[in-house]
Amino acid sequence: MMDALSDLLGGFADALTPVNLLFALLGVLLGTAVGVLPGIGPAMTVALLLPITYVLEPTSAFIMFAGIYYGGMYGGSTTSILLNTPGESSSIMTALEGNQMAKAGRGAAALATAAIGSFVAGTIATLLLALVAPTVVDLAIGITAADYFALAVLAFVAVSTVLGSSPLRGLASLGVGLYLGLVGTDVLSGQERFTLGIPQLSDGIDVVVVAVALFAVGEALYVASRLRRGPVQVMPASGPYMTREDLRRSWKPWLRGTALGFPFGALPAGGAEIPTFLSYAAERRLTKHPEQFGRGAIEGVAGPEAANNAAAAGVLVPLLTLGLPTSATAAILLAAFTGYGIQPGPTLLTTESTLVWTLIAALLIGNAMLLVLNLPLAGVWVQLLRIPRPYLYAGILLFASLGSYAVNADPLDLVILLLLGGLGFLMRRYGWPVAPAVIGLILGPIAETNLRRALAISGGDLGVLVETWFSRIVLALALLALAGPIVLRAVRGRRSTPEELQEGARLRHREDEREVRR
Amino acid sequence: MTGPGAGRDGPAGATRSDREPAAPVAQEFRGRNTGELVMTVALGALGVYLVLDAGTIAVPGSANTVGPRFFPYLVGGLVIATALALGYRVFRGDRGPADESEDVDPTAGTSWRAVGVIAVAFLAHALLINVVGWPLAVTLMFGTVAWALGARGIVRPLLAGGITSIVVWVVFVKALNVALPGGTLLEWATSWV
Amino acid sequence: MTGAQPVVVVGVVPTPRGRAALEHAVLEAQRRSARLVVVNSSRGDALVDEEFLFGDRLRQLHADLTVSGVPFEVRQPVGRDVAEELADAAADTDADLLVIGLRRRSAVGKLLMGSAAQRILLDVDCPILAVKGPPGEDAR
Repeated sequence: MMDALSDLLGGFADALTPVNLLFALLGVLLGTAVGVLPGIGPAMTVALLLPITYVLEPTSAFIMFAGIYYGGMYGGSTTSILLNTPGESSSIMTALEGNQMAKAGRGAAALATAAIGSFVAGTIATLLLALVAPTVVDLAIGITAADYFALAVLAFVAVSTVLGSSPLRGLASLGVGLYLGLVGTDVLSGQERFTLGIPQLSDGIDVVVVAVALFAVGEALYVASRLRRGPVQVMPASGPYMTREDLRRSWKPWLRGTALGFPFGALPAGGAEIPTFLSYAAERRLTKHPEQFGRGAIEGVAGPEAANNAAAAGVLVPLLTLGLPTSATAAILLAAFTGYGIQPGPTLLTTESTLVWTLIAALLIGNAMLLVLNLPLAGVWVQLLRIPRPYLYAGILLFASLGSYAVNADPLDLVILLLLGGLGFLMRRYGWPVAPAVIGLILGPIAETNLRRALAISGGDLGVLVETWFSRIVLALALLALAGPIVLRAVRGRRSTPEELQEGARLRHREDEREVRR
Repeated sequence: MTGPGAGRDGPAGATRSDREPAAPVAQEFRGRNTGELVMTVALGALGVYLVLDAGTIAVPGSANTVGPRFFPYLVGGLVIATALALGYRVFRGDRGPADESEDVDPTAGTSWRAVGVIAVAFLAHALLINVVGWPLAVTLMFGTVAWALGARGIVRPLLAGGITSIVVWVVFVKALNVALPGGTLLEWATSWV
Repeated sequence: MTGAQPVVVVGVVPTPRGRAALEHAVLEAQRRSARLVVVNSSRGDALVDEEFLFGDRLRQLHADLTVSGVPFEVRQPVGRDVAEELADAAADTDADLLVIGLRRRSAVGKLLMGSAAQRILLDVDCPILAVKGPPGEDAR
């Protein structure tokens, strides 16, 4: 415990240099901007910036990535509150109450409770990360290759079935990602696999190309295919920032949101969506002002926003201690680690302790920067949205081209980018989530290595996979996550008819109260 | 699960004659069913390809029981099983939830024309990069994409693309040393940097 | 056209120059006992357009116009330039007068952005009243 604190102080000493502060500032500015802009998010931005890792020091690069990671969430909550356009499902709850608050002339208070709540939750959760990480590493140091494979399976299944709304489509997306991860030369045997005889593919398809294609190009094509015309209403950030009453009603939801968000993020089956829903439900039940829910209750902004940020910090626990990514952004960060030749996993904290602690300190610094930057500047960020859509999406494609070409300076990468971009478009068009594909691509090869290592030790006996209690429990959880949705459907025992689906599609365009019931 | 597209205040219809979603939505759903089946069949084909092609991966003699084929078989099996289950569901009338991005019109039909123009523009720029340099190629791509998305005029998109691409090129090539062909003119003009 | 009641068309944006234009349009409509057609348009190509009226501001506009006693109609077309929309509105109402607010702009700004007012002057056949906002306030 004390070790963690002194290590963290050391991290601060390394992070608080002018150059690193500059990168932190750059990161939070970029992150907020992409959080505000539609169509791009932190995962894609970090992916686009991966080529920068060739020229930057790891510390500087990760400080910037950390800023982007946290900044994206602040930007997302601003647009959720002022424009009612939650970019990610974890912001839906914020938009629900936050936009109502803004409509009632309390936009500034909604922004303030979201920003301060994010800051409080982000800070507590990052400190928890610092405290928990060494302990988790101590536990993880003994895990076997089979255990790691079990964890990867759990992450695969959870990301595919628990987070999305259609488990089968999540699995389909995962399969596509695993396939893309297989293309190239097998590390252990040196054999080429699925390269179609194209020599450039023997090194595999670059992570940057796949991530940028699925996120940026796919999104640009999808938006182009059903372009929205006309502006949406922007609520002014009016009213006082925070009254004593607001603060009194906010601080408990902040803490409860943190308590819900961090563990959910830290679990391999985590993600930020579930804890924000849970936090909203909890606040609705505990509030003294139930009549305000649905009409702008400050608790309904404070809790979910805190949960969202705490979950984001929680996701870093499995990433930094086990090398296990459970969100798209975490997967890209993992790719950045491997790009530097750093092996993420239980040994990371000892072999790269300076880097890890500087990163954690940078997260805390970035969090404070975001609070200072965003509370007064929310209105300024919204101005970014005055960029006409044609320029915005043409610009996204410009940067996609830059990032992908910079990897190998080979136009073939751009052709692959376009093909995979078309795939990303079709996935969006038919409701396949994109995140499982990215995680499959990045975690797939690691899972395979561990699987084969485990089987090599056992001489091919599959029993090794369930030899330890740890792997048994983890695999059982994975099975539960896989079978759960199917069983639920069977129990409910009804299928949606096309007529009902039509009705559902119509409902989708109404004020949705359905989310509340969850 | 309902997406974020819901609950927006009147999306600026000219006459505010509220949308009548029923008819277009019905059409939309009929169209999507075929598309979903195609996606599912494609997924199944990927699975079959994975399994068949995995059989041709050379296994070095020294390798023990678990060689480079094992995991591909596993993935292929997963993909085929998913495709079968998904095919069954789609056949029974299941529809995927459309991805509700922040900035799309959920009631709009798919404009394949815009998608096609953008894809062609992007392909053309990929082939042009090594011929005319990145800034010029990407400027043309930017202009075409902006035009396909309904930007006003021709000069302004090209101007915006040109300025952005040159600034980005200078920053990334001159300051960050990223390899990016600038084209003869630009490379000559900035050779002193 | 109908009942030969004169028509005044005005382009409105939520800025000082827009308010100045609206004030003059109301005065003109009262003087001519004309019907007022208020046009507030958006090109609709960005997610945020602060010149397009929503919610409270739109209600306020309705309230102000109701108080003025002039018969009015508010049009909010989306998708084309202000100049085109105003020219269209003037043409299809057979307007007697078009009132527009003028932006104060430098020569360079005009060169880069073009001028909506200039295009309106060229396209519209009816008399046009151009109103400038209070000095200094329209810098945006």
